[in-house]
Amino acid sequence: MTESVLQVKELKLGISNGKHKIPIVNGVSFNLNKGETLGIVGESGCGKSLTSLALMGLLPPGIEWQDGDIKITEQSMKGVSHRVWRSVRGQKVAMIFQEPMSSLNPVFTIGNQIVEMIQSHNKMPKEEAKQHAIHMLKTLGIPRAEAVFNEYPHQLSGGMRQRVMIAMALSCNPDILIADEPTTALDVTIQAQILELMKDLQQKMDMSIILITHDLGVVAEMCDRVIVMYAGEIVEQSTVVELFDNPKHPYTKGLLASLPKIEERKEYLSSIKGVVPTAGNMPGGCRFAPRCTARHEKCDVKPVLRNYNDQSMVQCWLYSDN
Amino acid sequence: MLLSYIVKRIFHAILVVIVISLIVFFSIRLTGDPVAIMFGAGEPSQEAIDQLTAELGLDQPLHIQYGLFMKGLLTFDLGESFRSGIPVMTLIAERVWPTMLLAFGGMVVALLIAFPVGIISAIKRDTFLDFGGRVFSLIGISFPNFWLGIMLILIFAVNLQWLPASGFEGFKYLILPSITLGLILSGVLARLVRSSMLEVLNQQYIRTAESKGISKWVVILKHAFRNALLPTTTFIGLQFGALLGGTVIIEQVFAWPGIGRLIIDAINQRDYPVVQGGVVFLALVMVVVNLIVDLSYSLIDPRIKAGKGK
Ligand SMILES: Nc1ncnc2c1ncn2[C@@H]1O[C@H](COP(=O)(O)OP(=O)(O)O)[C@@H](O)[C@H]1O
Ligand SMILES: [Mg+2]
Repeated sequence: MTESVLQVKELKLGISNGKHKIPIVNGVSFNLNKGETLGIVGESGCGKSLTSLALMGLLPPGIEWQDGDIKITEQSMKGVSHRVWRSVRGQKVAMIFQEPMSSLNPVFTIGNQIVEMIQSHNKMPKEEAKQHAIHMLKTLGIPRAEAVFNEYPHQLSGGMRQRVMIAMALSCNPDILIADEPTTALDVTIQAQILELMKDLQQKMDMSIILITHDLGVVAEMCDRVIVMYAGEIVEQSTVVELFDNPKHPYTKGLLASLPKIEERKEYLSSIKGVVPTAGNMPGGCRFAPRCTARHEKCDVKPVLRNYNDQSMVQCWLYSDN
Repeated sequence: MLLSYIVKRIFHAILVVIVISLIVFFSIRLTGDPVAIMFGAGEPSQEAIDQLTAELGLDQPLHIQYGLFMKGLLTFDLGESFRSGIPVMTLIAERVWPTMLLAFGGMVVALLIAFPVGIISAIKRDTFLDFGGRVFSLIGISFPNFWLGIMLILIFAVNLQWLPASGFEGFKYLILPSITLGLILSGVLARLVRSSMLEVLNQQYIRTAESKGISKWVVILKHAFRNALLPTTTFIGLQFGALLGGTVIIEQVFAWPGIGRLIIDAINQRDYPVVQGGVVFLALVMVVVNLIVDLSYSLIDPRIKAGKGK
């Protein structure tokens, strides 16, 4: 029996104008098992970042948690105090972001920023925290770790900064690491190194990873299971093998078709016409229908996410009789 | 690097002082002839007038007078007061302490008010508190110095009799003038702190800080505030001139024995050397303060090396 570290149930996040609640993330449910890597893919604007921020209680101002529940290692986070969230952040769930350039505070040293985090979760003397921070930097393969400890973010390259971010995120031994497009801003070689490191550390530290990306190549490389999000909903959820071998949702197929094959080197990646609809302008039935090549009459009614087989779920009328 | 920067700044400072000295030298001479008022109501003979004019050196052509003034400046000799005959340097030395104390007091009051008001306004954006903070700023910005000073005197000195209204005989005397000066400055400053904080709070590194599980106040006061301090410091540097200008008015209202009053009195008496010396001295102070502020950037923001600009 696999142990679940995170359960998200019917999560709704959105804005409200006056009396109307407008969901942006519209009833998302998933599970994350211990030691597993779960990918979340989808075009930008699908609600991937909002979903992940909700897992840390860091929704941006104006976005509210409208419905549903998040359970982190069995604890429901619905309506808990700031204090409880603080104990979760960094210690149970840690996060790294897309932009390593702007994710570290420019006016404090690397060491200061890591030690601060270590000491906020562990009562330990400064010297011990410092040693632990340097150890983390070394673990991430950062050369001259002792010197880097005293350096400022602007003195490091983008790849090094992202390593520092990961070192910091992992410094309190979290159960879950959320990586929101962690390598999008880096060049390909460095991207590969960082992903390799994450995989490596995941095994050593026995942690779960949620990897948000719009790069299916990265998914194939890293993930055990994948969630495909479209316009704030999960349209397909399956194991990685199943996703690549037997994609079901027309949106998933479109994403896969836009994966650049090395032989082809396409200029335009997208083979799906149109754009993601924004909250408030959602189509009534299936949200993907306006862009779908397999659209038919049933699509005016909203489909639900159903089990397709024991490896996958899909939200599409093509795979459902009633 | 740093040295060449400092040399450049000193050169710049000298230029500023020369320009200011020219302006004050000529404009004070537009106010009229000092000899005429020095005889008061009497009817002096032409001979006596000529003699006094020569004594004061005012019979020399203007360029010679200016040359002498500049030559004196180089040797820290600002001449003597036409009125009292006391060396201008001595007069300034007596007055510098009260003025600096007042400027410092005003700045402290301004910071004590502006930092909390600006920070709270920013983190409670668009709430009642923010609204209050913004109204406060607006009032601070739009009310004239002297009016507020007079109001404070009426309330605290005349009505409540808690604090002295004028003069300078101890710490108590510093309170009302400092508050007047500080309140005025705090309006603009609070507005600036608020907008810098709002900008910083939107940055990605603030989200990173929040994601670490540290306390909200550490995020605000350490991570955000330290970054918001940079534009604020620039501003304080730039406003130092306004602050000194403010002391001139406040010194009048509170009969404060500082350089501002020294200059105003000297203007009324057409005491050229005192006016010239006082104004050039204030200009020098301003230039030095700006230099210090510039150098302090690199302490606040490690990305900035002194001399490389922002
Ligand atoms: N603070 C906010 N206020 C209003 N709408 C927002 C806010 N943040 C994000 N959104 C909207 O929510 C949607 C999903 O955003 P996001 O989760 O960032 O997408 P993704 O990470 O998948 O690219 C987008 O349409 C975006 O415009
Ligand atoms: Mg995103």
